[in-house]
Amino acid sequence: MPETAPPSGSARHLPMNGEDKTVVLSVVVEDGPNTLTKVTGVIRRRGFHVLSITVGPSHEPGRSRLILQIDHGHAEADQVRKQLERLVEVVEIEDLTGHDLHSRELVVAKVAPAALEGLLERGAKVLMSGKDTTTIEFSGEAADVGDFVDELARHGIVDVVRSGPVVMRRTA
Amino acid sequence: MVLEALEREGVEYIFGYPGGANLPIYQHLPEHPKLKHILVRHEQGAAHMADGYARACGKPGVVFATSGPGALNLVTGLCTAYMDSVPMIAITGQVNSTQVGRDAFQESDVIGATSSVTKHSYLVTKIDQLPRVIHEAFHIATTGRPGPVLIDICKDVQQADAERVTPERLQIPGYKLNGHVDLGHARQAARALAEAERPVILAGHGVLLSHAEAQLQELAEAAASPVGTTLLGIGAFPVKHPLSLHMTGFMGTGWNLKAVQDADLLMMVGMRVDDRVTARLAGFAPKVKTFIHIDIDGSEMGKNVRPHIELVADAKQALEAMLPHIDHLDAGRSTWLNQIDAWREEHPLRYKHSNGRLQPQDVLIEMYRRAHSRAIVVADVGQNQIWAALWWNYDRPGLFINSGGSGTMGFALPAALGAKFARPELPVWCVAGEGGFVMTAQELSVAVEHQLDVKIVLLNNFSLGMVRQFQDDFYGGVRSQVDLTHMPDFVKLAEAYGLPALRVEKFEDIAPAFDAAERTKGPFLIDFRIDPEANVYPIVPLGKSLNEFWEAPENA
Ligand SMILES: Cc1ncc(C[n+]2csc(CCOP(=O)(O)OP(=O)(O)O)c2C)c(N)n1
Ligand SMILES: [Mg+2]
Repeated sequence: MPETAPPSGSARHLPMNGEDKTVVLSVVVEDGPNTLTKVTGVIRRRGFHVLSITVGPSHEPGRSRLILQIDHGHAEADQVRKQLERLVEVVEIEDLTGHDLHSRELVVAKVAPAALEGLLERGAKVLMSGKDTTTIEFSGEAADVGDFVDELARHGIVDVVRSGPVVMRRTA
Repeated sequence: MVLEALEREGVEYIFGYPGGANLPIYQHLPEHPKLKHILVRHEQGAAHMADGYARACGKPGVVFATSGPGALNLVTGLCTAYMDSVPMIAITGQVNSTQVGRDAFQESDVIGATSSVTKHSYLVTKIDQLPRVIHEAFHIATTGRPGPVLIDICKDVQQADAERVTPERLQIPGYKLNGHVDLGHARQAARALAEAERPVILAGHGVLLSHAEAQLQELAEAAASPVGTTLLGIGAFPVKHPLSLHMTGFMGTGWNLKAVQDADLLMMVGMRVDDRVTARLAGFAPKVKTFIHIDIDGSEMGKNVRPHIELVADAKQALEAMLPHIDHLDAGRSTWLNQIDAWREEHPLRYKHSNGRLQPQDVLIEMYRRAHSRAIVVADVGQNQIWAALWWNYDRPGLFINSGGSGTMGFALPAALGAKFARPELPVWCVAGEGGFVMTAQELSVAVEHQLDVKIVLLNNFSLGMVRQFQDDFYGGVRSQVDLTHMPDFVKLAEAYGLPALRVEKFEDIAPAFDAAERTKGPFLIDFRIDPEANVYPIVPLGKSLNEFWEAPENA
């Protein structure tokens, strides 16, 4: 078992809502064998850096939605959107940077039974109980997920998987 | 199927090279006599030939190559076209679709290797995709900001039989064309230009691509604003026009750089504003209060310089939209224009021609005296390129072709041959250094085979001249790996390829050599052995601002 890990190191609080150098984009792409490499290729080539990327099917058949959090490096922030827009595979981009957002992230973790109680109090749900470990899930806003993972770290994580955030603009 | 689609797109020439993975296409080529295939001697040559063809006539250049090494040999040529927004279609053979990913013979990830140097690319694994893909590819290559599009076609697809299908209507949801001009911004830009005291317009390749030269001139005259061009924008504005600032950038003319650095308004049209134009970015155009940027590619806005007024649109439409608002000028121009005339006097282009050695400028001046504005000049990369840019008075568009963005040595000869295929009625001159020339010299065979009337002007300085100059001027004078004394005898080399050639070492022999070249039908090479110490001036030392340019010594 590792020592209690320092909270800041374990939980990477993904910067949201336009914190320094971060842009948040919701990108609809045409599905295809080259799409993801082309998107990440542009990000690499222009000197940007991926902080998080989530991919899932969009509601339109043949298209997926990517939620990207990108560090725009030395370029101006709007270059990320503009450079991605040049890709023929990219159908639509919404720049969510600085907007009020719903942001949810899912965590699935395996923990020692001793740690369970505190985690359940935070809202975790049990997926499977085993002899030595229990598998739980938790979802929430980025900050809550960060705190949750910090808490996990204090108890010693056996295994943890984070989905990366999915994001939508908060409009009525 | 591929060949029929190309016919449908109106293709006349294909520059290509066969191999295992595109043999099915070549098998059927003889059935399509309307498609003229030029067998190059190296795939890089094919890409540059298609590039020169496209730049000379505006139609997309078409290239064929086989998989693996064939396709990878195109990469430099694709990059050259991509950096300079040249429409091109590269059709590469790929291994059978069932073999992809198994490291089959001559398999390589061509899409992966080329995606950063193409506007778009397709891997075709099914025959029914093919008509749509080819049609889309031509559309994407030629519209908006043009660029190369690569189509990688699996060999089994090339062989597949299919109903002859005409492609359905184009539907490319992710392909956005910036068409319409924001009229409010156009008015704002026009008023700012009219109100400025010291305006400068810079014109790039986009002006040529959009055929906006007339609009540019009209606007410049109405606004009494001086106009400079980038290296790739040469021809967008007549060099001898009283408002001309000639070339800008770190090897631009002194009066241009003075004007840019003193301007209070800078309007940049159809250009990327790259580091060769700005030199030290923080010191670029420091007195400008209003930057106006016109470009069809929205990602150019703020990529290097953040404009105050932006027009994401085709240059011609944007300039047309501005014109009506320049009905009066708010500020007098005479002080500014007089100042520029004074700078023109003070900082003319000059060179040393009294040291007994052959000067490259003398060669170009004689060439221009003969050709005026009725010839295409295709330059290579290096000192020869800048001399060819500065010492010709290009006063019409489309007469100067060179690799500006990528700076690809070896470009000139194949590109000149491509230009000649495109514009057989125009004389074509290829100006190259000996270093770049030998990088693609094998294409001389193509010139001879097709008896292309291309005159090759070698500015032979026995060195990688531009690099030598940088070492002399900026790298402590250490000449390191730039000596090219050991090169072929170019006259004999030309003869070995089957074209006549002459060597010139003295000023007096320049004119007779050009006489001989002009008398000869077909390709001709002149090996001008120029002053090995001749340099390109003005030049802005690396890391310095534009106004810190060095000049050739006075009265030399
Ligand atoms: C393919 C390639 N390799 C290297 C360079 C770097 N480079 C730029 S100019 C130059 C020298 C060119 O020598 P030459 O062709 O003889 O022309 P010159 O400058 O002497 O006129 C070199 C090596 C380049 N631009 N392209
Ligand atoms: Mg040389």
